Amino acid sequence: MTGDTDRPVVLAVDDEKRVVQAFDIWLGDGYDVRTATGGTEALEQLDDTVDVVLLDRHMPDMSGDEVLEQIREAEYDCRVAMVTAVAPEFDIVDMEFDHYVSKPVDESDLRMVVDRLLDIQHYDERLADLYRVVQKIATLEEEMTVSRLDLHEEYANLVEERERLREETRDQIGEMDRENLDDVFEMIGSQ
Amino acid sequence: MASSEDMGGSTPELDSLVRDTDFFRSLVENGSDAIVSIDKESTVLYANQAVKRVFGYEPDELVGEELTVIMPERFRSKHFNAIDRYLDTGERQLDWNSTRLPAKHDDGHEVMLSITFEEHTYEGKQIFSGIMRDISEEVEQQRELERQNERLEQFASLVSHDLRDPLQAAKATTAVARAGDEEALEDLEDIYDRMDALIEDVLTLAKQGQSVGETESIPLSTVAEAAWSTAGSERATLELADSLPTVSADHERLRALFENLFRNALEHGAESATVSVAALEEAAGFYVVDDGPGFGDADSEELFTYGYTTNEDGTGFGLSIVAEIAEAHGWEVSATESDRGGARFEVRT
Repeated sequence: MTGDTDRPVVLAVDDEKRVVQAFDIWLGDGYDVRTATGGTEALEQLDDTVDVVLLDRHMPDMSGDEVLEQIREAEYDCRVAMVTAVAPEFDIVDMEFDHYVSKPVDESDLRMVVDRLLDIQHYDERLADLYRVVQKIATLEEEMTVSRLDLHEEYANLVEERERLREETRDQIGEMDRENLDDVFEMIGSQ
Repeated sequence: MASSEDMGGSTPELDSLVRDTDFFRSLVENGSDAIVSIDKESTVLYANQAVKRVFGYEPDELVGEELTVIMPERFRSKHFNAIDRYLDTGERQLDWNSTRLPAKHDDGHEVMLSITFEEHTYEGKQIFSGIMRDISEEVEQQRELERQNERLEQFASLVSHDLRDPLQAAKATTAVARAGDEEALEDLEDIYDRMDALIEDVLTLAKQGQSVGETESIPLSTVAEAAWSTAGSERATLELADSLPTVSADHERLRALFENLFRNALEHGAESATVSVAALEEAAGFYVVDDGPGFGDADSEELFTYGYTTNEDGTGFGLSIVAEIAEAHGWEVSATESDRGGARFEVRT
């Protein structure tokens, strides 16, 4: 777990010790993995070299939601995926994560998420915003019935924002090499 | 009202019947729907017998009164506005056919009605009538269905999400063991126990959703002792006040309520905790208090929510089970802290 290579740095945070151990095992050969079993420890481990944070939500000393807030406040340049058993509610609309993953995850799920988030780092800011919004919409749609979604203004706002960002990024997506459009952008680019 | 000429195809026998206005009178008078007629000023001109059953008033008591007598306060000005608007413009403010509106019973409670409005002219006067059916029961059934649906949704969410955490832990632990750490396998036992406890609690909770079964008069001391025998521990102490009352309750449910309160006290307190049960002073009911650390950082509003826990090994269902049981009996349960800082749960029966 040294930081002296070019390998991307992943910080795994979960109060269950075995979970972060497993994340380390699963990602260890391709990434430089750091682990923390609490929010405070996570913030101590965080620095500018961290590329991706995998963050549990329910933790006893400091919740993942709070850690996320602090990460954004301190303006670290990293992507954050919530990896959690907590059912996503409308409160996620205002949370500044890049990806929401429901437990349980296995090695291939985890690699896919990390790789995607690393890809996004190279995208234009608005494309990254678009990714984030599309992610949130998909997360809410998976969890909730249409009637419940329709009742919430937050959902309508997200959809509106997605349309706006799609419009703004239309040219950029068009210029990208088709082959480089991974499944993420096929999802986004379904225009 | 239809005249006999409109009713083509009737038999001579019926023909003579309908000529007889007494027939209509008795039809309207004795119908099961309440019928009330008013003039333009909303003064009641007529009320049939059924108003007694629906509103609690004798027909005579309503005639000559303003219709607003049987209306909840909040609808009164709306009613006058609607009548004025209609008289001015002919514009109807609501559907005249089977509209749902609450009315006020003589004793003050609200009755949900399905109302059909009619309008006719009688001796040159414009008359409005409401034919009203009491649908309180239907509405209650519908509410019950909605409640059940909500519960079902909650359970679906519970089962799908609350098992995810231990499932992730099991997957992770297996991976760690496979990577060479054999000791990790022992953790699996604990994880399986957690999943088992979760399933047990969800099942118990599902059962509590049903309405209370047979109730009987139960001495609190007996049921508390029975609950302690399963939920208590060797090193902890149960203290029962001398003056414990009896309550009317479903025995099994009441026992489950105590068991869950006891477990909560022991899980959050010291091993040698003392848990006391005593009668409430200011109201009918009882309380369970422990000498533990109280609620600390726990969110007192969230305490009774499904799945809320501050204990890593807890399922977070214990207190929701307590709340469900209390609610099913029509009791109120609340959480406070005792003078000494322990957790105190009050149940008002």
